[in-house]
Amino acid sequence: MQPALASPIATFAARAVFFAGLWWILTLGAPSAWGFGAVVIVLVAWLSVLLFPPSIHRLHPLGLVQFIAYFLGHSVLAGVDVARRLLTPSLAITPGEITLSLRLPEGGPRWLLANTLSLMPGTLSVHFDNNLLTVHCLDTSVDIEAGVRRAESQVARAFRIPLAPWEGAQS
Amino acid sequence: MFDGLVMVVQLILLVSGCVFFALGSLGLFRFPDTLTRIHALTKADNLGLGFIVLALLPLAPSFSAGLKTLLIWVVALAASATSAHLVARAVRGGITDGSPTEDNND
Repeated sequence: MQPALASPIATFAARAVFFAGLWWILTLGAPSAWGFGAVVIVLVAWLSVLLFPPSIHRLHPLGLVQFIAYFLGHSVLAGVDVARRLLTPSLAITPGEITLSLRLPEGGPRWLLANTLSLMPGTLSVHFDNNLLTVHCLDTSVDIEAGVRRAESQVARAFRIPLAPWEGAQS
Repeated sequence: MFDGLVMVVQLILLVSGCVFFALGSLGLFRFPDTLTRIHALTKADNLGLGFIVLALLPLAPSFSAGLKTLLIWVVALAASATSAHLVARAVRGGITDGSPTEDNND
């Protein structure tokens, strides 16, 4: 079930296509920009392969679309949640921290999870220590772990990583 | 008729976007310490910018210009999540930023 590692050349090509798309967006498709753009795209793609070598964890289109849908929905929930707490006269927060052990492998998936959690309702990634993630929460009275686990499984689905089911709460 | 409807939706989105930005800033004053303030800033600004980007999309003169507007939101999100994490880590690591925080109680 372990996917094969992509060759550096294939990764370079795929990233060059991605950067070409970005360049097209940035220059609003101006034809005169492509001469300079071609040089930049090749250099940046080459540098990205040097800095971030090919990984076995790749995003899959369908999983990514599902992840984006989840992310957009929860962005709205997060904004409304924080606004509601702010506008409550008594300031409805009971801040605290929890530390969880992650099931995601190192690298891209964990990075995506940490950044996602910082934008999801009531959580903020604070600290990584091996596979332990410390999360700061706005309200410790709600079930934080369930939210983190849901985000974790969404990230896993975007990368097609099989996850072991988590067993209950662990503080 | 359709144009008018689009304008009304745009107006609502723009106003909600500004409201969320204002709420994020209000969070800086109301929340008690650095970490909770980051909560307010990241989440409220993410949503505020998202609403403003959505409102501006119908005004984009071309498809690529629309994508560029969306790209601004994506890049701002990545920057906001990353800086939130870095600030949080700095606070936890005992590096103070000079502002009064109440983070030293656990």
